[in-house]
Amino acid sequence: MSGDTLFPLQTTDVSAKVPVDHLDYDFIETCKDVKYLEKILRILRSGEEGIYPHLIKFCESHLEKLNPKSRALRKENPVATKASFSKDEWNQIVNDLMTWAEETKETERLLKEGSGFNDLVKGEIPPVRSSSSFVPLSEKSFPKQRINPSKRILPRDYQEWDKFDVEGECEKIDGNMLKNDPPAILNTGNPNIKREVDASLLSQQEKLLLANREKDKGNEAFRANDYEEAVAYYTRSLSILATVSAYNNRAQAEIILEHWHEAMRDCQQVLELEPRNKKALLRRATVHNHMGNFQMASEDLRMVLQEEPNNPAAIQLLSKIEKKVSDSLPEQQSKGKKLLIEEVEEDYYKEEQEEQRARPVQPSQPVGGERSSAAPVVRGDMGNAQKKPHSRGDGGPHTESSNSHHGHWRGKGGASDKYKVPEESKEKVANGSSKRASTASEQGDKSGSSKGTTGGGKAEEAVNLDAPCGALPPRLSRLKNEGNLLFKNGQFADALEKYSQAIQGYTDSGVDSPEDLCVLYSNRAACYLKDGNSQECIQDCTRALELQPFSLKPLLRRAMAYESLERYRKAYVDYKTVLQIDISVQAAHDSVNRITRLLIEQDGPEWRDNLPDIPIVPLSAQQHRREEPPSQEVLQARAEKATQEAERRAEIRFSAWKQEGNEFVKKGQYQEALGKYTECLKLKPKECAIYTNRALCYLKLERFPEAKQDCDTALELEPDNKKAFYRRALANKGLQDYLACSSDLQQVLQLDPNVQEAEKELEEVTVLLRQSLARSPDDKARKTVPITEVDDDEDRTDAPNTERSRAADNISVNLKASNAYEFGQSLNAARCSGNTAACAELLASTEPEMLPKYLSNQLDGNTVSFIMKALDSDLLEKNPNLVYRHLSHLHTTDRFSVVLLQLEKDERRIMTQLFEHLSAAESAEFTRDDVENLANKYV
Amino acid sequence: MSSPLSKPQIIAHIQKSLNYTVFDSKWIPCSAKFVCLGNFARGTGVIQIYEVQHGEAQLITEVEKPKPLKCGTFGASSLQQRHIATGDFDGNLHIWNLEAPDVPVYATKAHKEIVNSIDGVGGLGIGDGAPEIVTGSRDGTVKVWDPRQKDLPVANMEPVEGETRRDCWTVAFGHAFNDQDRCVCAGYDNGDVKLFDLRNMSLRWETNIKNGVCCVEFDRKDINMNKLVATSLEGKFHVFDMRTQHPTKGFASVSEKAHKSTVWQVRHLPQNRDIFMTAGGAGNLHLWKYEYPAQRSKKDSDGVDVGVAGSVNLLQNVTLSTQPIASLDWSPDKQGLCVCSGFDQSVRVLIVTKLNSA
Repeated sequence: MSGDTLFPLQTTDVSAKVPVDHLDYDFIETCKDVKYLEKILRILRSGEEGIYPHLIKFCESHLEKLNPKSRALRKENPVATKASFSKDEWNQIVNDLMTWAEETKETERLLKEGSGFNDLVKGEIPPVRSSSSFVPLSEKSFPKQRINPSKRILPRDYQEWDKFDVEGECEKIDGNMLKNDPPAILNTGNPNIKREVDASLLSQQEKLLLANREKDKGNEAFRANDYEEAVAYYTRSLSILATVSAYNNRAQAEIILEHWHEAMRDCQQVLELEPRNKKALLRRATVHNHMGNFQMASEDLRMVLQEEPNNPAAIQLLSKIEKKVSDSLPEQQSKGKKLLIEEVEEDYYKEEQEEQRARPVQPSQPVGGERSSAAPVVRGDMGNAQKKPHSRGDGGPHTESSNSHHGHWRGKGGASDKYKVPEESKEKVANGSSKRASTASEQGDKSGSSKGTTGGGKAEEAVNLDAPCGALPPRLSRLKNEGNLLFKNGQFADALEKYSQAIQGYTDSGVDSPEDLCVLYSNRAACYLKDGNSQECIQDCTRALELQPFSLKPLLRRAMAYESLERYRKAYVDYKTVLQIDISVQAAHDSVNRITRLLIEQDGPEWRDNLPDIPIVPLSAQQHRREEPPSQEVLQARAEKATQEAERRAEIRFSAWKQEGNEFVKKGQYQEALGKYTECLKLKPKECAIYTNRALCYLKLERFPEAKQDCDTALELEPDNKKAFYRRALANKGLQDYLACSSDLQQVLQLDPNVQEAEKELEEVTVLLRQSLARSPDDKARKTVPITEVDDDEDRTDAPNTERSRAADNISVNLKASNAYEFGQSLNAARCSGNTAACAELLASTEPEMLPKYLSNQLDGNTVSFIMKALDSDLLEKNPNLVYRHLSHLHTTDRFSVVLLQLEKDERRIMTQLFEHLSAAESAEFTRDDVENLANKYV
Repeated sequence: MSSPLSKPQIIAHIQKSLNYTVFDSKWIPCSAKFVCLGNFARGTGVIQIYEVQHGEAQLITEVEKPKPLKCGTFGASSLQQRHIATGDFDGNLHIWNLEAPDVPVYATKAHKEIVNSIDGVGGLGIGDGAPEIVTGSRDGTVKVWDPRQKDLPVANMEPVEGETRRDCWTVAFGHAFNDQDRCVCAGYDNGDVKLFDLRNMSLRWETNIKNGVCCVEFDRKDINMNKLVATSLEGKFHVFDMRTQHPTKGFASVSEKAHKSTVWQVRHLPQNRDIFMTAGGAGNLHLWKYEYPAQRSKKDSDGVDVGVAGSVNLLQNVTLSTQPIASLDWSPDKQGLCVCSGFDQSVRVLIVTKLNSA
């Protein structure tokens, strides 16, 4: 033990010798100083004091206990050999390497086969850096003063002090202080990582390699807790090649970032590729859990447990969820019913777009395009439904605004004015309308018995003051009725007294009827409001609302009171709530508009941010309205109202059906969804979105003709609906009408060049188109005839042309074209027969300047490659100048860039060859550089 | 420290003695072949290509070149071409097509003296942007080349008139995560480490690690720069966290005394950027893993962000020979496979196992 107290002294002196008696089991065992132990170990190992192998081992083990990472423990190991492993292990290692060597050989062979397009690839590389920029080795870090730090600074002269500008110096110092703190440069996050990698020109081998590398980068970033960056790299990987693992990993990163919708989408992707992927199921369950869909979460978890009954994570999560479900079941039900009327369309379309950007379709999957076109829809509207619980707070305004689009709800008829402010009803009183009664006693309708009374005419009311009011005892009912009458007569102060008495009596009598108390408060509030006592009015309204949340009158009155107190925000919220309960309250609409203007003036464009939350009105409280007693005057209004009601109902039903339809799509029950959408269309035959949705269902059910018809209708309604075009393309594809398909896809791309799906699909279809052409050249030839026949009477030249050209190529092709039509005919004829010489001759006789005009929008990939071939094989030798001129005009043709996208590898090769040959050709008219510039436009 | 076999093991799979001094060895991407560059005793250079077959390295190609070759890289070449760029004792930069290695595809007199180090980026799908090669030479300059432009470097980092010319021992690309951003890091014989920003054409950061800098490498070239390892003459290496650059303190770093002699090389595992191997002057190899700290940056007393360095753990170390290991290269395709060459005139193919569990 004595050693413990001694050695701090000794260890400070590194060179001090270790006394021999410290080289001892007892001392080593008690010594706690790692450094000193290391020193002892060094001496022991050196053998200066003799060799004690056991003591060395003992010392090592003790040191390891204290500091397992001690450097002294690092031993120089010999390199491992076969002997260090068991036979199995060794065999595994060696075999692994052997198989890898074989595989790599194959990979390398494939890689070499794919080469030959290096020139093409070059076109996308950024240009050479501006040449020879000079960077000095020491720039900013070696300011001049630091070179001579030893040089003394002389004290200032006395005279100099006179000139000393204290203020200036102080400022300088302050300035310096500020300048001394430039912010640190942070290289965190993912500032400019491109989310997409253009791998279109790479071979499958290279893509696989690249995709894996990007995924590795993602994994590394994930391990370093840079989740944003990880997502970026996974996205890159997926843009090269879609793999299950990359989707799965991205889902995990999104979960950590709490991007639930993205995570959900990725899980969905994985499950589409691999339906029983445990990780994806587990992750989807996590997402569902966080989004509050406990039901779906537990379903997923059960799936996982089916696969692997002992998955600890799944078990844990499941038990947690089950507990949550049992806790929050009632609450859940009261939530979110309102959502049924939400418009889904907009949102999910956006999501779909996003989806398309983020997720390329695997080209190898023949159905991929179709599938994925549906998937986003599914996901989109699922996401929408799930989003709701989260955005409840601001849900109010949205619903409102979407509802208020339906202008016809805001009818001008008396019916919709029934909730107008009391003044108006007073006017009506003067008119002798029976409706006035309602203003004061409106809430009486709640109790069935009061209906007759309140609904009755003025005379009746006047007489029958004793009419029972709900559960109120007769005395109170009388008070209330008296109050109502006084109110109607404009004696607000008296009415107020009556109501106060009634309320007092109510509390004294101990009756339990919150409805009636609510009505009383509400009525008294009306009196206060009339008297200009807004404060009291608000109090009463609030009381009424506590008793009966979401009753219309008190809300409206409170809103008016708030407004008169200039508490616009609160007023706004109340009006909005009123509108949620009944959209047709004109007064509320007007006030909302007025207040909105005021608030915008006050707070600027962000006025909404300052608003308190607008409560969401449960469906049960919505749109409840009184049965008005039919009266002569109101009848017309009633009728009007009824139609509006019907329309509104229809609207609700429409939305509900649509929603249900979307739900069905989500669940994959397309047949049912179809039914719903059809119902929707019965209600509103002009709704474009429904047509496109139904088209989707038809597509799913492989009823392509119907799908096409729906798309046609949708396009009639909305001539540039991308979705409709896209789905019609898919339908056409299903109908094997590849030509129409590709033209539709091109339409999509014209409308929005960013739709990757369409591009992919287009590529696919082009291949299919070509295949179908190759399979049946006869069909093709015959097909062209009827198409051209309709156009012009010159078909005579064409029809024989194609036929004859098959027999004897050269003769029939009209080689001197004088207009676009003839040119097209000749070109087609030459192409069908594969007669490049004819084409070359045709081109030779055509002015290059006219070429784009002639081709106009008839250009397609086949034509381009055919022209290229013709130029290369037949024209280049004779007249390179002409070839150059043709090429320099060809690319100005309409839609040329789109056509380029469609080109196949072989066709690209033809193009590259042509340019190679062209640059080899000598000419006075162009230089090699010109050719290269031109080539850049083509590749 | 449980059972010794639970940690990564370094296995000497193939050892091949050579009849020349080998300076550099590199895997040919997407193949089971590697290239050795070196110096015949008669003062000429040599390129050899070996293929790993059935547990042996078989010589496929050998070409003699007029000048000894010091270093090479595939980094600026496409996967399909896989041209190697080499620097020689005479200051020449060549690019060779290994299918036809007799005539260079590109040749330029890059430096007045020996090219000590070379690195490439923009090829092999590593890093977006233009293919570029950087060379560092004894003449004190660091030059960046674009294989599409002959004779003129696209960037030239050299001391101004009157400044002493330090011998540049090592160069490395990094930060090439998009088309524009790109950095070059250079290490000098006096211990200077300089980071050049090629986007702004400026010196972005410099430090001195007191001893000659033998090798620098970013953990990955094609990401937002994350970590930089610099090894030094006296056996230490430094790991810099490159994510947070403090205006005065620069980058946070951790250093580790690894070898008893010079650390000649450091190479990060292509499949996991946090694992790297250092090769030492006493013929030993150390395998390390970098552990990130809980927070990679914090605020200093002035409220400016300052980086926090993590720690390095030794995973495995072995001694291969008594002579220094001068070059080391991980196979980009097969995790754990690496080739190293030393001054004992031999080249070795190593397998490192259990890297995933590390």
